[in-house]
Amino acid sequence: MQFSKNWLGEFLDINLSTEEICSQLTMAGLEVDGYENCTSKITGKDSIINLDITPNRGDGFSVLGVARELSVINNLKLKLPVANKIPGSFKDDMGIKVCSEGPIYYGRTLRGLSLKSKTLPLIAERLKMSDQKLIDPVVDITNYILLELGQPLHAFDRDKLNGNISVRLAKNKELITLLDDQELILDSDCLIISDEQEAIAFAGIMGGKKSSVTKTTSSIFLESAFFNPSSVRGRARRFGFQTDASLRFERGVDYKIQEFALDRASSLLEETVGGSFGNTIGAIKKTAIPKESKITVSLERSNKVLGTDISLQKAMRYFKGLGLSPERSDNNITVSSPSWRYDINIEADLIEELARLEGYDSLPQTSLTPVYKKRNKTSEEVLSESLISKGFNEIISYSFISPEDHDLFGEQDNTLQVKNPISQNMSIMRTNLVSGLLNSCIYNLNHGQNDQRLFEIGNTFIQKNKTVQETKTLAGIIKGNVSDDYWNEKSRESSFYDLKGIVLDLLENFEVQHSFKSATNKFLHPGMSSSIVFNNKSVGFLGSLHPEYVEKLGLKQDIFIFSLEIPNLINKPITSYREFSRQPLTSRDLAFLINKEITAETLQQVIESSAGKFFKDIKIFDVYQGKGITDDKKSIALSVSWQSMKNTLLDSDIDTAVEKIVNSVKSKLGGELRI
Amino acid sequence: MNLDTLKKKISDLQSKAINDFSLSKSKTELDDSYRSFLGKKGEVNLLLKTLGSLPQEKRKEAGKILNELKSVLEEKYLGTSISLASTANQERLDQERIDSTLPGFQDLKGSSHPVSETIREICDFFERMGFDVESGPEAEIDYYNFEALNVPEDHPAKDMHDTFYLNNSGLLRTHTSPVQIRTMEKRDAPHRIICPGKVYRKDSDLTHTPMFHQIEGLVVEEGASFAQLKGLLNDFLEDFFGEKVELRFRPSYFPFTEPSAEADIRWKKNWLEVLGCGMVHPNVLKGVGVDTKKYSGFAFGLGVERMAMLKYDIPDLRAFFENDLRFLKQF
Repeated sequence: MQFSKNWLGEFLDINLSTEEICSQLTMAGLEVDGYENCTSKITGKDSIINLDITPNRGDGFSVLGVARELSVINNLKLKLPVANKIPGSFKDDMGIKVCSEGPIYYGRTLRGLSLKSKTLPLIAERLKMSDQKLIDPVVDITNYILLELGQPLHAFDRDKLNGNISVRLAKNKELITLLDDQELILDSDCLIISDEQEAIAFAGIMGGKKSSVTKTTSSIFLESAFFNPSSVRGRARRFGFQTDASLRFERGVDYKIQEFALDRASSLLEETVGGSFGNTIGAIKKTAIPKESKITVSLERSNKVLGTDISLQKAMRYFKGLGLSPERSDNNITVSSPSWRYDINIEADLIEELARLEGYDSLPQTSLTPVYKKRNKTSEEVLSESLISKGFNEIISYSFISPEDHDLFGEQDNTLQVKNPISQNMSIMRTNLVSGLLNSCIYNLNHGQNDQRLFEIGNTFIQKNKTVQETKTLAGIIKGNVSDDYWNEKSRESSFYDLKGIVLDLLENFEVQHSFKSATNKFLHPGMSSSIVFNNKSVGFLGSLHPEYVEKLGLKQDIFIFSLEIPNLINKPITSYREFSRQPLTSRDLAFLINKEITAETLQQVIESSAGKFFKDIKIFDVYQGKGITDDKKSIALSVSWQSMKNTLLDSDIDTAVEKIVNSVKSKLGGELRI
Repeated sequence: MNLDTLKKKISDLQSKAINDFSLSKSKTELDDSYRSFLGKKGEVNLLLKTLGSLPQEKRKEAGKILNELKSVLEEKYLGTSISLASTANQERLDQERIDSTLPGFQDLKGSSHPVSETIREICDFFERMGFDVESGPEAEIDYYNFEALNVPEDHPAKDMHDTFYLNNSGLLRTHTSPVQIRTMEKRDAPHRIICPGKVYRKDSDLTHTPMFHQIEGLVVEEGASFAQLKGLLNDFLEDFFGEKVELRFRPSYFPFTEPSAEADIRWKKNWLEVLGCGMVHPNVLKGVGVDTKKYSGFAFGLGVERMAMLKYDIPDLRAFFENDLRFLKQF
């Protein structure tokens, strides 16, 4: 809503600077977006004020409404503009029918007007300052009244109307061509104005093309109506547009102003385009007009909620100023909601009015008393701190990805899609975080960053049986060297085992039993990947990006990825003391020759289960294949250690344990001890 | 042998030993020399053995002199030994000297995204005030995103949010407010919760990204007042910026609060909107079964990127989602 500041002078004698007016309006909830001083030949030294009106304040969409607000704030008298009652010089025989959705409809015919005449200069100037295009004197006047009083008017070409008119709901799929040539197929909840043949206007939104005023028009029918907000709401938006009229009707137009607005327009039309008026005709469906509701506010409750001490007298004065006709009884005030305010319905609304007029800034302020609670780190914090300490940089990427990325990395079944995306590139909800990480990696690679460690924590979306499984997930990538080159030592390239070490370190923070199984993700190297399993359920994966993908993405170097579902990670309880052994640790190095296919994990399990009760730990220190060993074998060297809680273990104890291990590896795995 | 001859011998031996000791270039040399004088078969012991040839009455004196010789030599040995050790140490240290201005071996540097960092800082304040951190789904349904928050179907207030709709008839939440409703449905009042998370609006230009982060706070308890809301937000902003903040509240509109307010801070001369807030609308509380006679509530919401931009002086919103390492590594 944009208007000339001097226009306000027609409604009240206000002697404040533009800055003061703007500050008052902003602080009262009619936010001033900005203002610009100007000098006009017609309105003199003036300013253009631009308001940003919130959806609850339909009354702010007129100069009258703004003036009313200023009159309450400054305790000034509000004057209404002149609207002479022009008696009809002929009797209009047009019949009008209204309905519950559009319960008030007034109109009058003006014959023999001249569209060649000019719009009055003051009106033209004010319209221009409100950024309204000048069209013809009739349309200009309807636009002027819209801005002045907030009542949208519409002028039909009287000679193009066929018979009586009615306000009614459209038939399903009823057609209408609007003024701006849009052809709409209406739904049965769209309100229209119709003559005896067809729809002539989309009620409260835009007039029809056929009945519109053109250069050759000599008679008009001027409409001033009230349509219930709920019958206009969302209808224009459904077809992707809105108008000055729909903006006002869907927020609520003063339902007592239609006749006045018609008179006001008539006076201006008579002055501008001449002609002779018919009598005002109209129809009202009283039962469907919004009711003036009675609302009671308890001053005690209001003061408690606001933390104020507003007196009954003061509250009465505020409500009177707002036109709420307040009545007091004890410590309560009962008001009637005015016809121009649709946002005053319950006690809380009145509390807001009191707060507004008192000034939000001058309301008291007290501190909230803290409540002390025990707080543990969240899994998310634990994970991200751990990764950051390992040189990972956190990224955040969009949750919607492109169909191409989804084809490469996503899980194909039942994806969740955005129906109205910003662009196709942002139309599919990610099923994992891989593409975001890889895209960031490529972006940074193109900007000269070869060594990268990135991670992201975000939700992934999978649609299953109409429900969405949304899972907070952690994923990361490593690429390039494990460290910088040092001046005495070159760094080395990251490997699968660097990634695995990182993942193991992460898992150690939590109370979980994990194992690694083979992974099936299509974008991972089948021989260099694992899925991470808790309780037989796969909750993540790690691996090297499939060589075909590496090539396709132009990466030129191996890249390692991991992913982990966060909800499965249970934080360890706060550490409490555990007894530890003060006895010496004894260890033996053993090397086994086993079949190539046997995994290190299997060998470790066999050793662990046969190492006896003092077994403490096992560490692999060498894996060898090649010279001196047949092709189908490999050698794994490990250091096994034992420790007792009570005493120093004897060599004979250890010898027995080693013997058991060797026998067990031999019988279960066919392995031979090498040393 | 008479005593005088002995004394002469002792005196010669002492000069010789002291001379030998001080000529030693290493601990080994010194120890060799020590042994040749003070060892079992050393010269001092040899001399001791000659005492028997002295007359009885002179033996005692001679013994005393010999013992004096021993202790003088022991002392000299010890002194020389210490000084040799110190020289050796010094040499070792000199040899081991490095250029300490050469670079140290540093680990790779990690970093937290400024949005995460800001969320953590904000939640930290509220957690100290006794708020619980809550979260909810980003793929929401109309009921939680709008209806339960007192935004009816087709209401113009929906225009304030350009919503992304999903193919499962749901939507991407346009604010973190649905978490309020979900939490109040789950648990009984009183509540103090803070809900950070991603939100989505169909808007993309210099100052808008289609995804951004919000933090929503909610207090529902007996006697929760607008005065407390003002105080809490003032305390929060001062904690966040680490200095006095000029704050103003002005009326605004959110369907789920009444009265509603917008909070602006004075930033480089201008007023800048940072927060929306208000007393929770009775319809919202009643909808989740909160006894409005007993409890009142207030809520507030803020944009994380906006707060991060102010705090870290970041000029461009788009930097947050470009994931340029040259940007990320600054935090």
